[in-house]
Amino acid sequence: MSHFRSRRKGGVHVELPPYAAGLLANLTRQLIELLRDGEPTIRTGTDPLEAMLDFEGPSEAPEDPALRRLLPDAHRDDDEAAAEFRRFTERGLRESKVGDATVVLTTLGVLGDAGDGGEGALEADVEFELDREQARAWLRCLTDLRLTLAERLGVTADDDETWDALPEDDERLPVYEIYHWLGYLLESLLDAVRR
Amino acid sequence: MAAVTATPDAGTVERTDTDEVVQLEPPWITLVWDDPVNLMSYVTFVFTDYFHYSRSKAQRLMMQVHNEGRAVVATGSREEMERDVQAMHSYGLWATLQKSDA
Repeated sequence: MSHFRSRRKGGVHVELPPYAAGLLANLTRQLIELLRDGEPTIRTGTDPLEAMLDFEGPSEAPEDPALRRLLPDAHRDDDEAAAEFRRFTERGLRESKVGDATVVLTTLGVLGDAGDGGEGALEADVEFELDREQARAWLRCLTDLRLTLAERLGVTADDDETWDALPEDDERLPVYEIYHWLGYLLESLLDAVRR
Repeated sequence: MAAVTATPDAGTVERTDTDEVVQLEPPWITLVWDDPVNLMSYVTFVFTDYFHYSRSKAQRLMMQVHNEGRAVVATGSREEMERDVQAMHSYGLWATLQKSDA
């Protein structure tokens, strides 16, 4: 049975068992942390007005490979143009990804219960409706989660067999299973969105 | 409605700069590159959802990315391509822009 059912006007009805909702919330929180933590700190000690008007972001790609995959260079053979593009767009791209992740947390109903946002907070099945735009935020966030886990695992092209044959005591197995599960979620949500 | 029979007055337009003609051609392209993570169905969806391409065109472009490692998904001004690349990044696709003759 799918977790997602089509609704009118591109909306989607979602029903997730508590462990699935809890895991998703947990991963999404970590994604937000990754997107926020990796952000170079805004210069301190400057005029507050100047800081507010400073829309420029960093010109260098993030060191973390997962972040680099989420925020890739926009120019392949032109470092200068890539740096320039990053300076003016990276902050906005991070914010749009954090925005998508925030939609996931909000619709899961786990945002706002300050101090009680742990996995234990969810006990019953979680059911809610997504409108057209929220469904797209979910698709993008599930993709960002998959990209991040794939980078951590070192997933490459045509290596399905290696991963499917991981021994049971391999420490990468639980992470790979989550990665696989996110792919299944994405595919089922996509089916509901396209219908 | 009658057809317009008057011919343009060619004598009044003096074209002195051929660069102007070249500039009419959209000189920048957006490329999407293959990656081992994104699902084929998702890549096709992004092309229909963002660019509003037909399902068959989106599928053809997705297959080109998959088989040839990359595909030109949009052509236009540099500013337009920058917007498209940023949108592709927000969807998690690996995209770059460059001059079309590069």
